[in-house]
Amino acid sequence: MTKLQTISGSFRMSLLHFFADPQWIIPNIIAPFVFTIVALVLFGNVSTSVALYAVLGGGMMGMWGNTLYGSGFALAFDRWNGTIEYVLATPSRLVWIIAGRSASNAVLGLVNALAIVLVVVIGYGTLFVVANPVLFILALIVTLASLSALGVIFCSAFLLSRSAQVMTNGLEMPIYVATGSMFPIALLPLWSHPISLSLGPTWGIDAMRYASDAAYSGLGFGYWTDLLVVAASTAIYMAIGFWLFVVVEKKVRRDATLTEY
Amino acid sequence: MTDGQEKAIVVSDLRRVYHTSKGILRKTRQAVEAVKGISFDVEFGELFGLVGPNGAGKTTTIKMLTTLLTPTSGTAKVLGFDIVEDVVEIRRRIGIIFGGERGLYYRVSGRENLRYFADLYGVPMSKREKRIAELLDMVGLSDRADSKVEEYSRGMKQRLHIAKGLINDPQLVFMDEPTIGLDPQAARDTRAMIKQLVEKSKTILLTTHYMFEADELCRRIGVISNGEIVALDTPAGLKRFVKDITVIEVEAFGIVDTDILNLRRRPEVKSVSANLEGERQTMRIQTPKGSEFIPEVTKLLSAAKIFDIRTKEPTLEDAYLRLVS
Repeated sequence: MTKLQTISGSFRMSLLHFFADPQWIIPNIIAPFVFTIVALVLFGNVSTSVALYAVLGGGMMGMWGNTLYGSGFALAFDRWNGTIEYVLATPSRLVWIIAGRSASNAVLGLVNALAIVLVVVIGYGTLFVVANPVLFILALIVTLASLSALGVIFCSAFLLSRSAQVMTNGLEMPIYVATGSMFPIALLPLWSHPISLSLGPTWGIDAMRYASDAAYSGLGFGYWTDLLVVAASTAIYMAIGFWLFVVVEKKVRRDATLTEY
Repeated sequence: MTDGQEKAIVVSDLRRVYHTSKGILRKTRQAVEAVKGISFDVEFGELFGLVGPNGAGKTTTIKMLTTLLTPTSGTAKVLGFDIVEDVVEIRRRIGIIFGGERGLYYRVSGRENLRYFADLYGVPMSKREKRIAELLDMVGLSDRADSKVEEYSRGMKQRLHIAKGLINDPQLVFMDEPTIGLDPQAARDTRAMIKQLVEKSKTILLTTHYMFEADELCRRIGVISNGEIVALDTPAGLKRFVKDITVIEVEAFGIVDTDILNLRRRPEVKSVSANLEGERQTMRIQTPKGSEFIPEVTKLLSAAKIFDIRTKEPTLEDAYLRLVS
Protein backbone atom coordinates (compact mmCIF):
# COMPACT_ATOMS: atom_id res chain seq x y z
CA MET A 1 0.00 0.00 0.00
CA THR A 2 2.79 2.45 0.89
CA LYS A 3 4.63 1.79 -2.38
CA LEU A 4 1.43 2.41 -4.30
CA GLN A 5 0.82 5.60 -2.32
CA THR A 6 4.38 6.76 -3.06
CA ILE A 7 3.97 6.05 -6.77
CA SER A 8 0.51 7.63 -7.03
CA GLY A 9 1.54 10.67 -4.95
CA SER A 10 4.63 11.22 -7.11
CA PHE A 11 2.56 10.70 -10.25
CA ARG A 12 0.07 13.40 -9.15
CA MET A 13 2.75 15.85 -8.03
CA SER A 14 4.57 15.47 -11.34
CA LEU A 15 1.37 16.18 -13.28
CA LEU A 16 0.66 19.25 -11.14
CA HIS A 17 4.10 20.61 -11.84
CA PHE A 18 3.80 19.96 -15.54
CA PHE A 19 0.65 22.06 -15.76
CA ALA A 20 1.97 24.67 -13.35
CA ASP A 21 5.11 25.23 -15.42
CA PRO A 22 4.17 25.64 -19.11
CA GLN A 23 7.81 25.71 -20.33
CA TRP A 24 7.84 21.87 -20.36
CA ILE A 25 5.12 21.80 -23.01
CA ILE A 26 7.62 23.00 -25.65
CA PRO A 27 10.20 20.16 -25.55
CA ASN A 28 7.74 17.50 -24.46
CA ILE A 29 4.62 18.13 -26.52
CA ILE A 30 5.20 20.74 -29.21
CA ALA A 31 8.61 19.55 -30.47
CA PRO A 32 7.59 15.91 -31.14
CA PHE A 33 4.34 17.19 -32.65
CA VAL A 34 6.26 19.40 -35.09
CA PHE A 35 8.59 16.50 -36.01
CA THR A 36 5.58 14.34 -36.80
CA ILE A 37 3.90 17.00 -38.93
CA VAL A 38 7.16 17.43 -40.87
CA ALA A 39 7.25 13.66 -41.39
CA LEU A 40 3.66 13.68 -42.65
CA VAL A 41 4.46 16.47 -45.09
CA LEU A 42 7.50 14.51 -46.35
CA PHE A 43 5.39 11.39 -46.83
CA GLY A 44 3.02 13.45 -48.98
CA ASN A 45 0.17 11.01 -49.43
CA VAL A 46 -1.07 10.15 -45.94
CA SER A 47 -2.44 6.66 -46.41
CA THR A 48 -3.82 4.63 -43.52
CA SER A 49 -0.48 2.88 -43.00
CA VAL A 50 1.40 6.21 -43.04
CA ALA A 51 -1.13 7.59 -40.57
CA LEU A 52 -0.45 4.60 -38.33
CA TYR A 53 3.29 5.32 -38.37
CA ALA A 54 2.67 9.00 -37.79
CA VAL A 55 0.31 8.60 -34.87
CA LEU A 56 2.23 5.83 -33.12
CA GLY A 57 5.61 7.32 -33.98
CA GLY A 58 4.58 10.77 -32.81
CA GLY A 59 3.05 9.31 -29.70
CA MET A 60 6.19 7.33 -28.96
CA MET A 61 8.33 10.41 -29.50
CA GLY A 62 6.15 12.35 -27.09
CA MET A 63 6.19 9.59 -24.51
CA TRP A 64 9.93 9.02 -24.76
CA GLY A 65 10.78 12.73 -24.82
CA ASN A 66 8.65 13.29 -21.76
CA THR A 67 10.07 10.30 -19.93
CA LEU A 68 13.65 11.24 -20.71
CA TYR A 69 13.34 14.92 -19.83
CA GLY A 70 11.08 14.12 -16.92
CA SER A 71 13.49 11.60 -15.42
CA GLY A 72 16.47 13.79 -16.19
CA PHE A 73 14.97 16.77 -14.49
CA ALA A 74 13.01 14.91 -11.80
CA LEU A 75 15.86 15.16 -9.33
CA ALA A 76 17.51 18.25 -10.77
CA PHE A 77 14.19 19.96 -10.11
CA ASP A 78 14.31 18.84 -6.47
CA ARG A 79 17.88 20.06 -6.22
CA TRP A 80 16.84 23.49 -7.51
CA ASN A 81 13.89 23.66 -5.13
CA GLY A 82 15.96 22.46 -2.20
CA THR A 83 13.46 19.64 -1.68
CA ILE A 84 15.83 16.78 -2.48
CA GLU A 85 16.92 16.25 1.11
CA TYR A 86 13.33 16.31 2.37
CA VAL A 87 12.33 13.79 -0.29
CA LEU A 88 15.26 11.49 0.42
CA ALA A 89 14.66 11.73 4.18
CA THR A 90 11.20 10.15 3.85
CA PRO A 91 10.83 6.40 4.37
CA SER A 92 9.77 5.96 0.72
CA ARG A 93 12.37 4.40 -1.54
CA LEU A 94 13.58 6.87 -4.13
CA VAL A 95 13.06 4.29 -6.86
CA TRP A 96 9.25 4.31 -6.28
CA ILE A 97 9.18 8.09 -6.17
CA ILE A 98 10.95 8.23 -9.53
CA ALA A 99 8.78 5.43 -10.94
CA GLY A 100 5.68 7.55 -10.20
CA ARG A 101 7.18 10.65 -11.76
CA SER A 102 8.47 8.73 -14.75
CA ALA A 103 5.05 7.10 -15.35
CA SER A 104 3.36 10.49 -15.24
CA ASN A 105 5.78 11.83 -17.83
CA ALA A 106 5.18 8.87 -20.13
CA VAL A 107 1.40 9.29 -19.86
CA LEU A 108 1.68 12.99 -20.68
CA GLY A 109 3.36 12.01 -23.93
CA LEU A 110 0.05 10.49 -25.02
CA VAL A 111 -1.26 14.03 -25.45
CA ASN A 112 1.03 14.26 -28.44
CA ALA A 113 -0.42 11.10 -30.01
CA LEU A 114 -3.97 12.41 -29.55
CA ALA A 115 -3.05 15.73 -31.19
CA ILE A 116 -1.59 13.88 -34.17
CA VAL A 117 -4.74 11.74 -34.48
CA LEU A 118 -6.71 14.97 -34.80
CA VAL A 119 -4.33 16.36 -37.46
CA VAL A 120 -4.45 13.10 -39.46
CA VAL A 121 -8.22 12.85 -39.30
CA ILE A 122 -9.12 16.53 -39.73
CA GLY A 123 -6.16 17.84 -41.74
CA TYR A 124 -5.62 14.89 -44.09
CA GLY A 125 -9.06 13.27 -43.97
CA THR A 126 -7.43 9.89 -43.27
CA LEU A 127 -9.17 7.62 -40.82
CA PHE A 128 -7.04 6.19 -38.07
CA VAL A 129 -8.66 2.87 -37.27
CA VAL A 130 -7.45 0.51 -34.58
CA ALA A 131 -8.23 -3.08 -35.57
CA ASN A 132 -8.21 -4.46 -32.04
CA PRO A 133 -8.66 -1.71 -29.41
CA VAL A 134 -8.33 -4.06 -26.41
CA LEU A 135 -4.96 -5.46 -27.55
CA PHE A 136 -3.89 -1.95 -28.54
CA ILE A 137 -4.59 -0.55 -25.08
CA LEU A 138 -2.88 -3.54 -23.44
CA ALA A 139 0.24 -2.98 -25.57
CA LEU A 140 0.09 0.74 -24.85
CA ILE A 141 -0.02 0.21 -21.09
CA VAL A 142 2.90 -2.24 -21.14
CA THR A 143 4.88 0.12 -23.38
CA LEU A 144 4.23 3.00 -21.01
CA ALA A 145 5.51 0.81 -18.16
CA SER A 146 8.58 -0.04 -20.23
CA LEU A 147 9.31 3.63 -20.93
CA SER A 148 8.81 4.48 -17.25
CA ALA A 149 11.24 1.73 -16.24
CA LEU A 150 13.83 3.04 -18.72
CA GLY A 151 13.29 6.49 -17.19
CA VAL A 152 14.04 5.06 -13.75
CA ILE A 153 17.36 3.65 -14.99
CA PHE A 154 18.39 6.95 -16.54
CA CYS A 155 17.32 8.85 -13.46
CA SER A 156 19.67 6.88 -11.23
CA ALA A 157 22.54 8.08 -13.44
CA PHE A 158 21.23 11.62 -13.18
CA LEU A 159 21.30 11.40 -9.39
CA LEU A 160 25.04 10.84 -9.64
CA SER A 161 25.76 13.34 -12.35
CA ARG A 162 25.16 17.04 -12.55
CA SER A 163 25.13 16.81 -16.35
CA ALA A 164 21.58 15.55 -16.69
CA GLN A 165 20.65 18.12 -19.32
CA VAL A 166 23.51 17.14 -21.64
CA MET A 167 22.71 13.46 -21.25
CA THR A 168 19.02 13.94 -21.97
CA ASN A 169 19.76 15.93 -25.13
CA GLY A 170 22.13 13.22 -26.31
CA LEU A 171 19.73 10.36 -25.67
CA GLU A 172 16.57 11.80 -27.19
CA MET A 173 17.05 11.29 -30.94
CA PRO A 174 18.91 7.93 -30.89
CA ILE A 175 16.00 6.28 -29.11
CA TYR A 176 13.45 7.71 -31.57
CA VAL A 177 15.45 6.18 -34.39
CA ALA A 178 16.48 2.93 -32.70
CA THR A 179 12.95 2.00 -31.59
CA GLY A 180 11.58 2.44 -35.10
CA SER A 181 9.14 5.11 -34.02
CA MET A 182 8.88 6.78 -37.42
CA PHE A 183 10.02 4.06 -39.82
CA PRO A 184 10.71 0.29 -39.66
CA ILE A 185 14.01 -0.67 -38.06
CA ALA A 186 14.64 -2.85 -41.14
CA LEU A 187 15.73 0.40 -42.80
CA LEU A 188 18.50 0.85 -40.25
CA PRO A 189 21.98 -0.68 -40.73
CA LEU A 190 22.32 -4.27 -39.61
CA TRP A 191 24.76 -3.48 -36.81
CA SER A 192 22.16 -1.31 -35.10
CA HIS A 193 19.52 -4.05 -34.92
CA PRO A 194 20.77 -5.62 -31.66
CA ILE A 195 20.54 -2.17 -30.05
CA SER A 196 17.02 -1.69 -31.34
CA LEU A 197 15.91 -5.14 -30.25
CA SER A 198 17.33 -4.69 -26.76
CA LEU A 199 14.96 -1.76 -26.18
CA GLY A 200 11.54 -2.69 -24.82
CA PRO A 201 9.73 0.21 -26.56
CA THR A 202 10.83 -1.20 -29.99
CA TRP A 203 8.73 -4.29 -29.24
CA GLY A 204 5.99 -2.25 -27.65
CA ILE A 205 5.43 -0.06 -30.68
CA ASP A 206 5.55 -3.16 -32.87
CA ALA A 207 2.83 -4.77 -30.72
CA MET A 208 0.71 -1.63 -31.02
CA ARG A 209 1.07 -1.71 -34.78
CA TYR A 210 0.01 -5.37 -34.83
CA ALA A 211 -3.07 -4.45 -32.81
CA SER A 212 -3.85 -1.49 -35.08
CA ASP A 213 -3.36 -3.04 -38.49
CA ALA A 214 -4.37 -6.64 -39.23
CA ALA A 215 -2.08 -6.69 -42.29
CA TYR A 216 1.04 -5.52 -40.41
CA SER A 217 4.01 -7.92 -40.49
CA GLY A 218 6.55 -5.83 -38.52
CA LEU A 219 9.35 -7.63 -36.70
CA GLY A 220 7.72 -10.93 -37.60
CA PHE A 221 7.23 -12.41 -34.13
CA GLY A 222 3.56 -11.56 -33.68
CA TYR A 223 1.64 -9.55 -31.09
CA TRP A 224 1.95 -11.84 -28.07
CA THR A 225 5.70 -12.44 -28.46
CA ASP A 226 6.19 -8.70 -28.72
CA LEU A 227 4.11 -8.15 -25.61
CA LEU A 228 6.03 -10.81 -23.69
CA VAL A 229 9.37 -9.23 -24.65
CA VAL A 230 8.17 -5.77 -23.56
CA ALA A 231 6.93 -7.13 -20.23
CA ALA A 232 10.14 -9.12 -19.64
CA SER A 233 12.37 -6.19 -20.58
CA THR A 234 10.33 -3.92 -18.29
CA ALA A 235 10.89 -6.33 -15.41
CA ILE A 236 14.62 -6.40 -16.18
CA TYR A 237 14.78 -2.58 -16.41
CA MET A 238 12.97 -2.27 -13.06
CA ALA A 239 15.34 -4.76 -11.44
CA ILE A 240 18.34 -2.86 -12.80
CA GLY A 241 16.78 0.47 -11.77
CA PHE A 242 16.06 -0.80 -8.27
CA TRP A 243 19.61 -2.11 -7.84
CA LEU A 244 21.11 1.11 -9.25
CA PHE A 245 19.09 3.23 -6.85
CA VAL A 246 20.22 1.19 -3.86
CA VAL A 247 23.86 1.65 -4.95
CA VAL A 248 23.44 5.32 -5.86
CA GLU A 249 21.56 6.21 -2.65
CA LYS A 250 24.35 4.67 -0.59
CA LYS A 251 26.92 6.54 -2.65
CA VAL A 252 25.30 9.97 -2.26
CA ARG A 253 24.97 9.45 1.50
CA ARG A 254 28.63 8.48 1.67
CA ASP A 255 30.01 11.16 -0.67
CA ALA A 256 27.64 13.98 0.37
CA THR A 257 26.86 14.84 -3.25
CA LEU A 258 23.10 14.98 -2.86
CA THR A 259 22.69 18.74 -2.93
CA GLU A 260 25.32 19.49 -5.56
CA TYR A 261 23.91 20.91 -8.75
CA MET B 1 11.16 3.55 20.60
CA THR B 2 12.73 0.11 20.71
CA ASP B 3 12.55 -1.91 23.91
CA GLY B 4 14.88 -0.77 26.62
CA GLN B 5 15.82 2.45 24.87
CA GLU B 6 16.00 5.20 27.47
CA LYS B 7 17.35 8.06 25.38
CA ALA B 8 15.94 9.56 22.23
CA ILE B 9 19.41 10.11 20.76
CA VAL B 10 22.70 8.53 21.76
CA VAL B 11 25.76 9.75 19.85
CA SER B 12 29.10 8.13 20.46
CA ASP B 13 32.39 9.31 18.98
CA LEU B 14 30.70 10.37 15.73
CA ARG B 15 33.03 11.57 13.02
CA ARG B 16 32.56 12.77 9.47
CA VAL B 17 35.24 13.55 6.90
CA TYR B 18 34.45 15.22 3.59
CA HIS B 19 36.69 14.72 0.59
CA THR B 20 37.02 17.61 -1.79
CA SER B 21 39.13 18.01 -4.91
CA LYS B 22 40.86 20.99 -6.46
CA GLY B 23 42.05 21.59 -10.01
CA ILE B 24 40.82 20.25 -13.33
CA LEU B 25 43.67 18.44 -15.05
CA ARG B 26 45.71 17.75 -11.94
CA LYS B 27 43.19 17.02 -9.28
CA THR B 28 44.34 17.10 -5.71
CA ARG B 29 42.14 15.57 -3.07
CA GLN B 30 41.76 17.09 0.33
CA ALA B 31 40.12 15.68 3.45
CA VAL B 32 38.17 18.02 5.72
CA GLU B 33 37.13 16.70 9.12
CA ALA B 34 33.79 18.43 9.73
CA VAL B 35 32.81 16.47 12.85
CA LYS B 36 35.61 15.19 15.07
CA GLY B 37 34.32 12.41 17.25
CA ILE B 38 31.45 14.04 19.14
CA SER B 39 29.41 12.31 21.85
CA PHE B 40 26.17 13.41 23.49
CA ASP B 41 22.70 12.15 24.26
CA VAL B 42 19.21 13.59 24.28
CA GLU B 43 16.44 12.57 26.68
CA PHE B 44 12.89 11.82 25.53
CA GLY B 45 10.77 14.99 25.63
CA GLU B 46 13.84 17.21 25.82
CA LEU B 47 14.53 20.24 23.67
CA PHE B 48 18.25 19.97 23.08
CA GLY B 49 20.17 22.77 21.38
CA LEU B 50 23.30 22.57 19.28
CA VAL B 51 24.92 25.96 18.83
CA GLY B 52 28.09 26.96 17.08
CA PRO B 53 29.53 29.24 14.42
CA ASN B 54 29.17 28.63 10.68
CA GLY B 55 31.08 25.54 9.62
CA ALA B 56 31.26 24.20 13.18
CA GLY B 57 29.62 20.90 12.20
CA LYS B 58 26.01 21.43 13.37
CA THR B 59 24.34 20.73 10.04
CA THR B 60 26.63 17.79 9.30
CA THR B 61 25.67 16.31 12.67
CA ILE B 62 21.96 16.75 11.92
CA LYS B 63 22.38 15.25 8.47
CA MET B 64 24.05 12.18 9.93
CA LEU B 65 21.37 11.77 12.59
CA THR B 66 18.60 12.13 10.01
CA THR B 67 20.30 9.44 7.84
CA LEU B 68 21.07 11.84 4.97
CA LEU B 69 24.80 11.29 5.44
CA THR B 70 26.70 8.27 6.64
CA PRO B 71 29.29 8.87 9.35
CA THR B 72 32.94 8.17 8.62
CA SER B 73 33.23 6.47 12.02
CA GLY B 74 31.48 6.28 15.37
CA THR B 75 27.92 5.29 16.14
CA ALA B 76 24.61 6.97 16.81
CA LYS B 77 21.22 5.66 17.75
CA VAL B 78 18.05 7.61 17.09
CA LEU B 79 14.97 6.34 18.94
CA GLY B 80 16.92 3.15 19.49
CA PHE B 81 17.74 2.60 15.82
CA ASP B 82 21.17 2.67 14.26
CA ILE B 83 21.67 5.57 11.83
CA VAL B 84 23.48 3.39 9.29
CA GLU B 85 21.59 0.10 9.52
CA ASP B 86 18.01 1.13 10.35
CA VAL B 87 17.54 4.01 7.94
CA VAL B 88 13.87 3.43 7.08
CA GLU B 89 12.83 2.83 10.71
CA ILE B 90 14.38 6.15 11.71
CA ARG B 91 12.89 8.05 8.77
CA ARG B 92 9.40 6.84 9.65
CA ARG B 93 9.66 8.28 13.16
CA ILE B 94 11.43 11.61 12.73
CA GLY B 95 10.54 14.98 11.28
CA ILE B 96 12.93 17.45 9.66
CA ILE B 97 12.51 21.21 9.63
CA PHE B 98 15.29 23.19 8.04
CA GLY B 99 15.28 26.97 7.97
CA GLY B 100 15.52 29.10 4.86
CA GLU B 101 13.45 29.86 1.81
CA ARG B 102 14.03 26.58 -0.01
CA GLY B 103 12.65 23.09 0.55
CA LEU B 104 9.10 23.60 -0.74
CA TYR B 105 7.43 23.13 -4.11
CA TYR B 106 6.68 26.74 -4.99
CA ARG B 107 4.46 26.17 -8.01
CA VAL B 108 1.82 24.22 -6.13
CA SER B 109 -0.28 25.03 -3.08
CA GLY B 110 0.69 24.57 0.54
CA ARG B 111 -1.95 21.86 0.84
CA GLU B 112 -0.49 19.98 -2.16
CA ASN B 113 2.97 20.18 -0.58
CA LEU B 114 1.61 18.57 2.58
CA ARG B 115 -0.40 16.00 0.61
CA TYR B 116 2.70 14.90 -1.27
CA PHE B 117 4.82 14.49 1.83
CA ALA B 118 1.94 12.69 3.56
CA ASP B 119 2.04 10.18 0.69
CA LEU B 120 5.82 9.80 0.92
CA TYR B 121 5.56 9.20 4.67
CA GLY B 122 2.75 6.69 4.14
CA VAL B 123 0.16 8.58 6.18
CA PRO B 124 -2.97 6.42 5.69
CA MET B 125 -5.26 7.85 3.02
CA SER B 126 -8.19 7.70 5.45
CA LYS B 127 -6.39 10.04 7.86
CA ARG B 128 -4.42 12.17 5.39
CA GLU B 129 -6.82 15.07 4.81
CA LYS B 130 -7.72 15.34 8.50
CA ARG B 131 -4.05 15.42 9.46
CA ILE B 132 -3.32 18.12 6.85
CA ALA B 133 -6.26 20.23 8.06
CA GLU B 134 -5.08 19.94 11.69
CA LEU B 135 -1.54 20.98 10.79
CA LEU B 136 -2.66 23.89 8.63
CA ASP B 137 -4.81 25.04 11.51
CA MET B 138 -1.93 24.66 13.96
CA VAL B 139 0.42 26.81 11.88
CA GLY B 140 -2.32 29.30 10.97
CA LEU B 141 -2.33 28.63 7.24
CA SER B 142 -5.84 27.24 6.77
CA ASP B 143 -6.99 30.37 4.92
CA ARG B 144 -4.09 30.27 2.47
CA ALA B 145 -3.78 26.50 2.13
CA ASP B 146 -4.83 26.48 -1.50
CA SER B 147 -2.65 29.40 -2.63
CA LYS B 148 0.60 28.66 -4.42
CA VAL B 149 3.61 28.65 -2.11
CA GLU B 150 5.34 31.23 -4.33
CA GLU B 151 2.72 33.71 -3.11
CA TYR B 152 3.55 33.08 0.56
CA SER B 153 5.57 35.45 2.72
CA ARG B 154 8.84 34.23 4.25
CA GLY B 155 7.12 33.63 7.59
CA MET B 156 4.29 31.65 5.98
CA LYS B 157 6.81 29.47 4.18
CA GLN B 158 8.50 28.71 7.48
CA ARG B 159 5.15 27.81 9.04
CA LEU B 160 4.52 25.47 6.12
CA HIS B 161 7.97 23.95 6.72
CA ILE B 162 6.91 23.23 10.29
CA ALA B 163 3.64 21.64 9.17
CA LYS B 164 5.56 19.53 6.63
CA GLY B 165 8.03 18.39 9.27
CA LEU B 166 5.16 17.19 11.45
CA ILE B 167 3.11 15.47 8.74
CA ASN B 168 4.04 11.98 9.98
CA ASP B 169 3.42 12.89 13.65
CA PRO B 170 7.09 12.27 14.49
CA GLN B 171 8.37 11.36 17.94
CA LEU B 172 11.53 13.34 17.34
CA VAL B 173 11.94 16.55 15.33
CA PHE B 174 15.22 17.91 13.97
CA MET B 175 15.21 21.66 13.42
CA ASP B 176 18.13 23.30 11.68
CA GLU B 177 18.03 27.07 12.24
CA PRO B 178 14.23 27.31 11.92
CA THR B 179 14.10 31.07 12.56
CA ILE B 180 16.89 32.13 10.23
CA GLY B 181 15.91 35.10 8.08
CA LEU B 182 12.53 35.59 9.75
CA ASP B 183 11.26 38.98 10.90
CA PRO B 184 10.93 39.33 14.71
CA GLN B 185 7.21 38.56 14.76
CA ALA B 186 7.54 35.47 12.54
CA ALA B 187 10.52 34.28 14.61
CA ARG B 188 8.49 34.74 17.79
CA ASP B 189 5.58 32.75 16.27
CA THR B 190 7.99 29.98 15.30
CA ARG B 191 9.43 29.83 18.81
CA ALA B 192 5.89 29.65 20.22
CA MET B 193 5.17 26.68 17.95
CA ILE B 194 8.38 24.98 19.06
CA LYS B 195 7.29 25.38 22.69
CA GLN B 196 3.91 23.87 21.83
CA LEU B 197 5.65 20.82 20.39
CA VAL B 198 7.62 20.31 23.59
CA GLU B 199 4.35 20.55 25.55
CA LYS B 200 3.07 17.74 23.32
CA SER B 201 6.02 15.60 24.50
CA LYS B 202 7.95 15.78 21.25
CA THR B 203 11.71 15.49 21.50
CA ILE B 204 13.49 18.24 19.58
CA LEU B 205 17.06 18.72 18.49
CA LEU B 206 17.47 22.35 17.49
CA THR B 207 20.40 24.18 15.96
CA THR B 208 20.45 27.94 16.06
CA HIS B 209 22.73 30.92 15.72
CA TYR B 210 20.67 32.97 18.13
CA MET B 211 21.80 32.54 21.73
CA PHE B 212 18.75 34.21 23.24
CA GLU B 213 16.65 31.68 21.33
CA ALA B 214 18.67 28.76 22.69
CA ASP B 215 18.45 30.30 26.16
CA GLU B 216 14.67 30.67 25.91
CA LEU B 217 13.92 27.26 24.43
CA CYS B 218 16.52 24.65 25.30
CA ARG B 219 16.81 22.53 28.41
CA ARG B 220 20.42 21.69 27.55
CA ILE B 221 22.80 23.10 24.98
CA GLY B 222 25.82 21.58 23.30
CA VAL B 223 28.31 24.16 22.03
CA ILE B 224 30.05 22.88 18.93
CA SER B 225 33.15 24.50 17.54
CA ASN B 226 35.50 23.21 14.87
CA GLY B 227 33.72 19.86 14.82
CA GLU B 228 34.01 19.28 18.56
CA ILE B 229 31.61 19.74 21.44
CA VAL B 230 33.42 22.22 23.65
CA ALA B 231 30.71 22.46 26.34
CA LEU B 232 27.42 20.78 27.14
CA ASP B 233 25.22 22.05 29.94
CA THR B 234 21.97 23.83 30.80
CA PRO B 235 21.80 27.51 29.78
CA ALA B 236 22.40 28.47 33.44
CA GLY B 237 25.34 26.07 33.60
CA LEU B 238 26.90 27.55 30.48
CA LYS B 239 26.53 31.07 31.86
CA ARG B 240 28.71 30.01 34.78
CA PHE B 241 31.63 29.90 32.33
CA VAL B 242 31.50 33.69 32.35
CA LYS B 243 30.52 34.35 35.98
CA ASP B 244 33.98 35.81 36.65
CA ILE B 245 33.67 38.47 33.99
CA THR B 246 31.77 41.63 33.21
CA VAL B 247 30.77 42.69 29.74
CA ILE B 248 31.51 46.19 28.53
CA GLU B 249 29.19 47.10 25.70
CA VAL B 250 30.18 49.91 23.36
CA GLU B 251 28.12 51.67 20.71
CA ALA B 252 30.27 53.77 18.42
CA PHE B 253 31.17 54.86 14.93
CA GLY B 254 34.62 54.55 13.39
CA ILE B 255 35.87 51.39 15.10
CA VAL B 256 38.35 49.60 12.83
CA ASP B 257 39.76 46.07 12.86
CA THR B 258 43.02 47.26 14.41
CA ASP B 259 41.10 48.51 17.47
CA ILE B 260 39.68 45.03 17.99
CA LEU B 261 43.13 43.43 17.60
CA ASN B 262 44.62 45.89 20.10
CA LEU B 263 41.89 45.11 22.62
CA ARG B 264 42.34 41.36 22.16
CA ARG B 265 46.06 41.71 22.93
CA ARG B 266 45.33 43.16 26.37
CA PRO B 267 45.79 40.55 29.13
CA GLU B 268 42.67 41.82 30.98
CA VAL B 269 40.48 41.04 27.96
CA LYS B 270 39.00 37.54 27.68
CA SER B 271 37.05 38.02 24.49
CA VAL B 272 35.96 40.71 22.03
CA SER B 273 33.08 40.50 19.58
CA ALA B 274 31.98 43.30 17.32
CA ASN B 275 29.53 44.18 14.61
CA LEU B 276 31.17 46.87 12.52
CA GLU B 277 28.39 47.14 9.93
CA GLY B 278 26.36 50.33 9.63
CA GLU B 279 26.59 53.68 11.31
CA ARG B 280 26.04 52.38 14.84
CA GLN B 281 28.72 49.79 15.49
CA THR B 282 28.51 47.57 18.54
CA MET B 283 31.28 45.87 20.48
CA ARG B 284 31.22 43.54 23.49
CA ILE B 285 34.36 43.19 25.59
CA GLN B 286 34.61 40.50 28.27
CA THR B 287 36.89 41.40 31.15
CA PRO B 288 37.19 40.45 34.81
CA LYS B 289 38.07 44.07 35.65
CA GLY B 290 34.50 45.34 35.27
CA SER B 291 33.82 49.07 35.06
CA GLU B 292 37.44 49.84 36.03
CA PHE B 293 38.38 48.91 32.49
CA ILE B 294 36.08 51.47 30.82
CA PRO B 295 38.68 54.30 30.79
CA GLU B 296 41.15 51.91 29.10
CA VAL B 297 38.58 51.06 26.43
CA THR B 298 37.78 54.73 25.87
CA LYS B 299 41.47 55.44 25.44
CA LEU B 300 41.98 52.56 23.01
CA LEU B 301 39.00 53.71 20.94
CA SER B 302 39.98 57.39 20.99
CA ALA B 303 39.87 57.62 17.20
CA ALA B 304 36.26 56.46 17.10
CA LYS B 305 33.14 58.37 18.14
CA ILE B 306 31.64 56.60 21.17
CA PHE B 307 27.88 57.05 21.59
CA ASP B 308 27.45 54.86 24.63
CA ILE B 309 29.58 52.64 26.87
CA ARG B 310 28.29 50.62 29.82
CA THR B 311 28.77 47.40 31.77
CA LYS B 312 26.31 44.51 31.50
CA GLU B 313 25.74 41.14 33.12
CA PRO B 314 27.11 38.36 30.93
CA THR B 315 24.56 36.47 28.83
CA LEU B 316 24.55 33.06 27.20
CA GLU B 317 25.95 34.75 24.11
CA ASP B 318 28.97 35.88 26.13
CA ALA B 319 29.47 32.33 27.39
CA TYR B 320 29.19 31.09 23.83
CA LEU B 321 31.67 33.64 22.50
CA ARG B 322 34.15 32.71 25.18
CA LEU B 323 33.76 29.02 24.40
CA VAL B 324 34.12 29.27 20.65
CA SER B 325 36.76 31.99 20.48
